[in-house]
Amino acid sequence: MIETTGLRKTYADGAEALRGLDLNVPTGSICGFLGRNGAGKTTTIKILLGMSRPTSGEARVLGLDATSPDASVEIRRRSGFVSEEKDLYGYMTVVEMVRFTAAFFPRWRRDLEERYLRRFELPPLRKVSALSKGMRTKLALLLALCRGAELLILDEPTSGLDPTIAEEVLQAIVSHVANEELTVFFSSHQIAEVEQITDRIVIIDRGRAVVSGALDDLRESYRRIQLVFDGDAPKAVFTAPGVARVERKGRVLSVLSSANAEAIVAEARRLDPVSVDVAPVSLKEIFLDTVHTEGD
Amino acid sequence: MLWYKSWLETRWRFLIGFALLLCSAAGSVLVYPQIARLTASVPVNAPGILGEKIREAMELARSYRGYVWSHWFGQNLTQMGTLFAILLGTASLLSESSGALFTLSLPVPRRRLLHVRAAAGLAELFAIVFVPSLLVALLAPAIGEHYGIGAVLIHAFCFFVGAALFFTLSLLLSTIFGDPWRPVMIAVGIAIALAIVDQLSHVSMFGVFRVMSGERWFREARMPWAGLIAIAAATATIYYGALRNLARRDF
Repeated sequence: MIETTGLRKTYADGAEALRGLDLNVPTGSICGFLGRNGAGKTTTIKILLGMSRPTSGEARVLGLDATSPDASVEIRRRSGFVSEEKDLYGYMTVVEMVRFTAAFFPRWRRDLEERYLRRFELPPLRKVSALSKGMRTKLALLLALCRGAELLILDEPTSGLDPTIAEEVLQAIVSHVANEELTVFFSSHQIAEVEQITDRIVIIDRGRAVVSGALDDLRESYRRIQLVFDGDAPKAVFTAPGVARVERKGRVLSVLSSANAEAIVAEARRLDPVSVDVAPVSLKEIFLDTVHTEGD
Repeated sequence: MLWYKSWLETRWRFLIGFALLLCSAAGSVLVYPQIARLTASVPVNAPGILGEKIREAMELARSYRGYVWSHWFGQNLTQMGTLFAILLGTASLLSESSGALFTLSLPVPRRRLLHVRAAAGLAELFAIVFVPSLLVALLAPAIGEHYGIGAVLIHAFCFFVGAALFFTLSLLLSTIFGDPWRPVMIAVGIAIALAIVDQLSHVSMFGVFRVMSGERWFREARMPWAGLIAIAAATATIYYGALRNLARRDF
């Protein structure tokens, strides 16, 4: 559904937003796109929707070349999008905004429009400029969900919302996806909400994908291996593949493995620790460790 | 629906400009009898270029045709019409606060966004130029004067061609800058510079504002085709630049 290869974006001021991003989002998945602020999430999304052009590399969405102006029109016809800023037309009323958007999408879902107008309790005759941020987010979501899209791209949809509204927005996305066949690409730096709704994860840091895969597989393959020694933990170099990060702190040597935990444990035992503890890792730990490692 | 969006974005600028120019046109006609009496009775003895200008203006005001050309087409319409052409051309194409990303997420090529915005703005500019100008002719019998509709259409056409240049310039600047103020300030600055050049060039009949006022038609009953074609070519080039700039722009 979304595929990028070696995607690079360098801005005129020399800032490198993307440094060879490889991305693969399969059809039907709900993919969380995690990264720190400034990691390159929004730049990637803008390239996928034809709003920005890559310096080099390839980007394909729905099988179409996202860098071609004509193909990107077709991509946008078949995609729903909510931007981080939820920048809608302040001078239109809610109902004008809905009618305006509906005119561009032949597969516009009137049934969903009515349902979400009721569910989100959006005042039809109120100007968009007079809506609260939460209301504006709900309207932006309605405008994306009703397009009859095959792909939904959400750029930090809950950014700046209070927890109640953020939860309401997430629930709306989850229930929509449960009822409709579509792929969701969901950017965020809120790990908990990504974990709540996605089945696939891409972690981006400094313009490169550092982790990519199904959420269950990541949970299954990532392990925290903690070794406790009598004295100070030794400086160890592991040769087994799958070591993502090694950290020494006093008597404790902590190893984060992305795969191959058994082989790493076997190698660790040769260091003669007092105890070896292997524990599953949360997405938050994976995120913090991988981003930290890449950032160092 | 893009037409509707353009209308909503520019309607207040258009309506204010339209109302002001209608009032100005009506006022220009209705005060003419007093001005005609004044010019007949007051001698002008001021020396130098200023005196020459005043004498020329008073000479023109002795006939309704001369007054309409110098006062309406040469001053009020030129100044206010040019300003509103610039204001109508200022489009918030890049500003995220005006929904640029939402617009760009629609399945519409960028060139179409600009075409619709330009066409809607030019239609408003057309109304702002032609309707008040026609009022000058239509109100003339109310003060016992006559002004031909054909002459109005010719002068308004010349002005419209020139105003489209400033409209397009403002549109181009809007594809470069994200805020609405810099395009207005730069375009107004360029308009003032061109007006000064017009004043300085005594021999040229092809200054932008001279072409816009239809001076050649007024004095020689000949259309300023060369000037009009040059302005139209410049307008087309600037519009092409705006299209190219918008097409390659990163948002």
